Amino acid sequence: MDTLEELAQIARTRPEKLKEQKEKGVKIVGYIGRFVPEELIYASGALPYLLCRGGQPEPPDAVIPYMLRFMSPYSRSQIGYHLLGIDPVVPMLDLIVAQCSDCHESRLADLFEYFKLPTIRLGVPPDWEKSLSRDYYYKGLTRLIEKLEAITGNKVSEQRLKESTDSINKIRWLLSKINLLRKNQPPPIGGADFIRLNHYSFYGDPEKLLPKLNDLYEELQKSTSPFPKEAPRLLLAGHVVGVGDYVVPKLIEDSGGVIAAEFLDEGMRHCEWNVKTDGDLIRNLGETYFLERTPPSIFQPAWEERAKIMKKLIKDFSIDGVIWYELSFDEIYDLECSIISKVTDEMNIPFLKLESSYEYAREAVGPLTTRVESFVETVKQRRS
Amino acid sequence: MAKDIYEDFLRLTGFEEDEMSEYLPQWRKASERLGLTEDDVRFATQERLPTYFAIELEGIRKLLGCFVKETIDLTRASEYKEKGVKIVYGILPAILHFYYALKLTAPDKVYVSFPDIFLTLVMNGFFHKLSPLLEEAERTGIPYGCRHCALNKTRYAALRLGIIPPPDISWIWGFICDEAPKTDEFIRIYHDPEWKTYITRLPHDQPLGTVEDEVIDRVEYLASQMKDGFEASQRAIGIKVSEEKINEVIAIWQRYATKLSELAQLMATDPQPLGVISARPFWEPLFCPFNTGIEPMEKALDIIIKEIKQRVAKREGILPEGAPKLMIYSVHPSVPWIAKIFEDNGVGIPFPEFFTLTKKQLTPSTFKDPYMVAAENWLRTSGMVNPGYQAEQICEKMTTLKVDGMVMGLMDFDRWLGSDHRLLARMIEEKTKLPVFYIEGDNWDDRDYSPEALRTRIESICEIMKMRKA
Repeated sequence: MDTLEELAQIARTRPEKLKEQKEKGVKIVGYIGRFVPEELIYASGALPYLLCRGGQPEPPDAVIPYMLRFMSPYSRSQIGYHLLGIDPVVPMLDLIVAQCSDCHESRLADLFEYFKLPTIRLGVPPDWEKSLSRDYYYKGLTRLIEKLEAITGNKVSEQRLKESTDSINKIRWLLSKINLLRKNQPPPIGGADFIRLNHYSFYGDPEKLLPKLNDLYEELQKSTSPFPKEAPRLLLAGHVVGVGDYVVPKLIEDSGGVIAAEFLDEGMRHCEWNVKTDGDLIRNLGETYFLERTPPSIFQPAWEERAKIMKKLIKDFSIDGVIWYELSFDEIYDLECSIISKVTDEMNIPFLKLESSYEYAREAVGPLTTRVESFVETVKQRRS
Repeated sequence: MAKDIYEDFLRLTGFEEDEMSEYLPQWRKASERLGLTEDDVRFATQERLPTYFAIELEGIRKLLGCFVKETIDLTRASEYKEKGVKIVYGILPAILHFYYALKLTAPDKVYVSFPDIFLTLVMNGFFHKLSPLLEEAERTGIPYGCRHCALNKTRYAALRLGIIPPPDISWIWGFICDEAPKTDEFIRIYHDPEWKTYITRLPHDQPLGTVEDEVIDRVEYLASQMKDGFEASQRAIGIKVSEEKINEVIAIWQRYATKLSELAQLMATDPQPLGVISARPFWEPLFCPFNTGIEPMEKALDIIIKEIKQRVAKREGILPEGAPKLMIYSVHPSVPWIAKIFEDNGVGIPFPEFFTLTKKQLTPSTFKDPYMVAAENWLRTSGMVNPGYQAEQICEKMTTLKVDGMVMGLMDFDRWLGSDHRLLARMIEEKTKLPVFYIEGDNWDDRDYSPEALRTRIESICEIMKMRKA
């Protein structure tokens, strides 16, 4: 899979490319969260940069002098790298769009502002079924457009928005096609790589990404799976696998399992939903981003619908076991975990909860490996 | 003798002799339902309450009695439900006007309560026995390790243990944290489909320093959310509340709040006339409704004001004159020993910040519509808004009350109210140049943060304050 490596290279060199573009006068807009449409950022002539890092313990710890330590290490990481002086992109951002759908994200936005980083918040009301809330989110998008136009000096025209929406739709479509290949047993690509692929797709210009994704799809169709035929098929569920937080997915697949599907709220493309490109484009964006996609755990009501969607995933992707990947003190996901474990219990599907504070020192990884290996072994035995 | 200790408990908590025949059997029954043994009642009567509350004062005894009556009433909610009374719950913090207006509109048809806060205050504050409820929740789906809020666990466990019935509507104000509304969704899906909920939410999306009550869009949105939630609650129980009734509640609330301001002023005198744990429960009716009514609390408040005035006139205090005074973000009778360690070490913490009002909060609203008034009031309250505005408000309170510093923290279970304290401490210290301390802890649940664990830190703070003041 040389193409995957090429995509990795594009993503790795993104900060340098952004710097070059910035020197040419292009604005760089960082953003946090699945409710910020990158289509709008592209349409304004700026370049988007998803803030979604994770997997290291020091950045969340760097935030403790300013924030309660019982907050999600993922949220804390988004400014932690900057506080440690090891974030190459945040200092050059012209704007950070901070989604505010829960307390963790809002507190993160507080810190961005406290540290004088240029920030705009996008409020996302979790009581999503009310028209009041929908209108609130749509108004937020309008304010975001005004802000983007102000910093770039460019109008977010219908034509530009249609073009950017088309591009992102194509990325989603290709990712979706690749994802569907994973229904095969054994799948041609596992979750560790598919999650990375999703990440890479946020860090490249669409015109460069699209041919590579297409090549990858072609390659995967023809390739032999790297997994044995008897590998148990696992669903990885939870909040997010951040960019760089690859220890657990890799461990699962190194232990003999294959992640055949994901159920993650952040850091993924949610590629099953494309944005309509006719009619009111901003309204279309709002509808797809806020209403149509799987509601995130914070939405209310959400958990019954999410359980249904997860059951369907288990069925459609022939899942043998579910691994719930939870970040420490992510209180809403912790509650949801109990519900999902009850659902999987009723379905007689093995379930494993893993909790991480991004502490992957040798003494932490040892017990983690034992748990994952035991789980994979159990699922394997049931399968055979 | 069993009879004696239950009676003694009621006498200690301000019950009159002519009330005994009515309340003694009820209290026994309530104790049983709450899982309180005779030893627990003895502990409360002989140790816990005399140690932490100024039971020599009639006003305090009557105050405690109001909580006992409300708790007895809470354990009878299932009986009410069986008789067709509609059960309405809410959570802290909320503006109680709407809940109380439901009660006043149909006193015999509606039961209102924020059950978790009452249970937490009484079970831990009086008996130090909240743990069985917390452990029940932790065994059954709300794990211990994630630092979930004790109030949410208590609400859930109280249902599981049959202390409270499922509500006809639990109108949850999710204007602050995420966990409280999601706990209700959890209860309904995981345990009891009869647990009916309506939620109202408000994103925390205002830039640092925004004066949120002056952002008209925000006030209007919040007012719309309140109206929507209140209408849904009325529909759920089939009771229509008039605007006049809401205004009536606002008038009652304001009358009570004015008296509380008088108590707060008395607490500010030097020497400090009353411990904060004794005074603190008087603030509870500002944010949560009493199904038994606010009037008994108001009577207790009248008595304590009279008694404290006498202490002030005689210059009697719980601390020496000139003792350092700190404002504290939050202190609660559920974990009463925190305040006592401060006071035992010669430092007063007479003012819980959350319950101290700014000049703006005392200014009449610019609106007439009760929902706009409520929304504006909410956004004038320091804990409800962005930390920039919150810091401004805290600084104003510290200046007005002439305190020597501030204590933040003790809210580590709360991803909103407790999550910005370290940041606030920096902002306040930068502005006031006064010391601001942070204590990691939990003011509902002291299983993790025992007196032994926090004593050294509190003693150090007290030493620093005394040295600064010397």
